[in-house]
Amino acid sequence: MQRRWYTAGSIIAGLAMIATACTGGTGGGGGGATSGEIIIASNQPTSGGDASDGLPAQNGIQFAVESKGTIKGFKLTFKGWDDTVNGTHDPQKGAQNIQEMIADAKILGMVGPNNSNVARAQIPIANRASFAMISAANTNECLTQTFDYCEKDTGSTPAKLRPNGTNNYFRIAAADTFQGPAAADFAVDTLKATKVAVWSDNETFGKGVADKFTAELVEKGGTVVARQDFDTKVTNDWKPFLTDAKNKGAQAIYAGATSGTKICIPRAQMKGILDVPYMVPDGGVNSQCIKDAADNAANMYGTVAAADANQNPDAKATIDAFTKRFPKKEDVGSYTFPAMDCANILIDAIGRAIDANGGKMPTREQVVKAVSETKAFKGTTGTYTFDKNGDPTSPTMAIFQTKGTDWAFVKQFGVGG
Amino acid sequence: MVGQLRQARTAFVAAPIGRILSVLVLLVIVYVIFVLLTRIFDRGGGYFLQILIFGVANGAIYALVALGYTMVYGIIELINFAHGDLFTLGGFISLFLLPIVGADASKAGTAAIILPLIIVFLATMAICGAINVTIERVAYRPLRHAPRVAPLITAIGMSFILEGLMFLWKGPFNLPYPNLLPTASFTIAEATIHLRDIFVIVIAVVLMIVLSIFVSRSSLGKAMRATAQDQDATELMGIDINRTIAATFFIGAVLAGAGGTIFGLYYNTLVFDLGFSAGLFAFTAAVFGGIGNIQGAALGGLVIGIIIAFSDGYFESAWTQVVIFGILILVLVFRPTGLLGMRVPEK
Repeated sequence: MQRRWYTAGSIIAGLAMIATACTGGTGGGGGGATSGEIIIASNQPTSGGDASDGLPAQNGIQFAVESKGTIKGFKLTFKGWDDTVNGTHDPQKGAQNIQEMIADAKILGMVGPNNSNVARAQIPIANRASFAMISAANTNECLTQTFDYCEKDTGSTPAKLRPNGTNNYFRIAAADTFQGPAAADFAVDTLKATKVAVWSDNETFGKGVADKFTAELVEKGGTVVARQDFDTKVTNDWKPFLTDAKNKGAQAIYAGATSGTKICIPRAQMKGILDVPYMVPDGGVNSQCIKDAADNAANMYGTVAAADANQNPDAKATIDAFTKRFPKKEDVGSYTFPAMDCANILIDAIGRAIDANGGKMPTREQVVKAVSETKAFKGTTGTYTFDKNGDPTSPTMAIFQTKGTDWAFVKQFGVGG
Repeated sequence: MVGQLRQARTAFVAAPIGRILSVLVLLVIVYVIFVLLTRIFDRGGGYFLQILIFGVANGAIYALVALGYTMVYGIIELINFAHGDLFTLGGFISLFLLPIVGADASKAGTAAIILPLIIVFLATMAICGAINVTIERVAYRPLRHAPRVAPLITAIGMSFILEGLMFLWKGPFNLPYPNLLPTASFTIAEATIHLRDIFVIVIAVVLMIVLSIFVSRSSLGKAMRATAQDQDATELMGIDINRTIAATFFIGAVLAGAGGTIFGLYYNTLVFDLGFSAGLFAFTAAVFGGIGNIQGAALGGLVIGIIIAFSDGYFESAWTQVVIFGILILVLVFRPTGLLGMRVPEK
C-alpha cells in the first residue's frame, strides 16, 4: 500500500516538473536581449466563445509579423497568448499573460487585448513595466478618457490605470461613446425605427453600449419600449421579452452583448414572434452570430468600431496576400485588418526606437515613446495618429448588414476628431 | 391614553426582531403580488396566456431533468451533480445522430421527420442510460458505503469530466441545432401558440406518466421503492440491489437524454456547459417539489418554468434568480420537505 502511494507521488511530482518546464518554455526565460530577436506578442481570446473574434484578429497580427520578417537587422517573431478560461475571456488570465510577456526581455510590445475588461486588468501591470499595448478592438471609453461616471461604472479611471503616470496603452478602435449612438442614428435615420426594444448582458461592454444607444435614441425623439438585462449564463428563453417587445410595438431590437454572451440566440427565437430588424454592436459582427441566428439571420445590422479594409483600394494587395496565407472563411473577421494595422504600428515604432538607440535593442520606454509619436501611419483600415490619451485622432465607425450567411459592408464614416 | 401608547411602544420595541422581519417580508410579498396582479390585469389575458405557455414548455424540460435528480436521491441519497451534464450530453448525442438517420432541415415539419425523430429519441435515451449506468458503476457504487462526502465529490468530478469531454468534442461555441419541428401556429385569445410548444409539453407529460406508472406498477418499480426504504431488508428478500440502483440511474438518464433532445429541438441551440445552469434549476425544482418525490419533481419543474417566464415577462430578467430562490427559501422555511413532501425514509 505504502509503495503504491510512493509511486503515485513520484508520478505527480514528475508531471509537475514537466508542467513547470512547459510553462517556463512558453513564458520565455528573460535576459539574453542582444541575440538580435524581437518578439511581438498578441493577447486574444483564441479558444473560447469569443474565438470567432479572437482568432481572426490573431491571424492579422501573425501575418503582419511574418510578412515584415525583420526590422533594422533584428529578426521579428510572433508569439500568441490566449486569455480564455472556461470558454470566456478572463481578466485574471489576461493579467497573468501580461506578466509572462513582461518577464521576457525580447518582447517589446503587445497587440491586444480584444475585450475591455481584460484591458482594465492588463494596463496597470504593463504600465508599471512601461510595456506598450495597442488594441484594435477595445471600445470602453473609460480606458482612455475621464468621465465622471467611470469610477462608478467600471471601478477605475484612466489615471488609476496608469500608476507610473506615462501612457503606455493605445488603440485604433472608436470608443463606445460613438458606437451606441451610431447604431441609434442608423435605427432612426435609415431603418426608420423609433420604437426599439433593448436588451443587454450583465457585462460592462454590453450594458454600456446599450445604455448609450438608449440615450441617443431618446435624444433623437425615439422611445425604448422594453429594456432588460439578462444573466446570459442561465438564460435560454428570450421569448417572454420578445413577446413583450412585440406587444409594445417594437420596430427594431437592439442587443448589447457579445457572441460569448449569446448575442444572436434571441434572433433565432424571434422567428414566429416578430419580424423586425435586429441590431448588434461589434461583439456580434462575426460568423458565430450568423450561426446562432440560424434560419433567421436576414435583416440584422451591426456596428464595427473600425474601418473596413475592403473599402481601401490601397489595401487590396495585402488582403489578397492574407487570404492566401489564411484561406478559410472563418480566418478573417471584422478586426483582422485593424489588428494587423496595430501590429504594423508597433513594428514601425520599434524601428524608430532602434534608430533612436543607435541601432541597438531599444528599451521598452523608448518603444512606448515611439508609439505615442506615431504620426499619420498609413494602415489597411485608415491613417492613424494617437492623441495624448492613446486614442486615434480620427476614429471610424462602419456599419454592416447580413446578406445570406455573410456580413456585408453598408457604409462607414469618421467620428469625433 | 399616554400610558397605553407607552405600553404599546414598549411592546413593539420588545417584540423579537424576527417577528418584525417576518412582517416586513410579508409586506414585501403582498406588494410584489399586488404589482404582479395589476400588471397582469393591464397587459390583458392574451399576453398572460402567451407567457404561461412559454413557462409551461420551459418548465416541462426542467421537470424531465428534475426527475433524474429526485429518483437518484430517493434511492441512494446522492445528489448526482453529473445529471445536468448528462442532459446536455443527450442534446449533443441527438445532434450527432440526426444526420445519420437522415433527419435534416429539408424534412422539417413534415410526416417524413416523425420516424427519424423517434429513432433519434430512442437511441439517445438508450445511450444516455448506458453512460449513466457506467458512471454509477465506476464512480458511485465503489463508494456506496464510504462517507457521504466521497460520492458527492466523485459526482462533481463526473460533472466536470462530462463537460470537458463535450468541450473537446464540439468546442466552446453555441452549436446550431436543426429546426425540425413544424412552424405552424394558431391563435387563441390573442396568444399565438406554436405546435412546437405543444410538442414539448406533450412529450414531457407522456414520459412522466409512463415513468409514474412504471414505478408504481412494475416489479422493478416496487424493487426501487423497497430499496429506497431499506436496502438490507430488500436484499434479504432476494432483490438484487445493484441491479435495482443501476436501473434507477438508467431511467433517470433516459429522461435526461429525452430532455436534452427536446431542448435542442425547441431552442435550436446547445452549448457544452448548458448543464450547469439547467442542472442547478432542475435540482432546485426537485427540492421545491420535495426531493425523492416523483410527482413533486414534475410539479417543481413546472413551477420554476412558470416563475421564470412570469418574472421575465412581467418584471425584469435581472430579477429572475432573486425571485426563484426567494420563493424557494420561503417554501422551504414553511415546508422544509418541499411542496409535496419528501419520500425519503428515516434512518
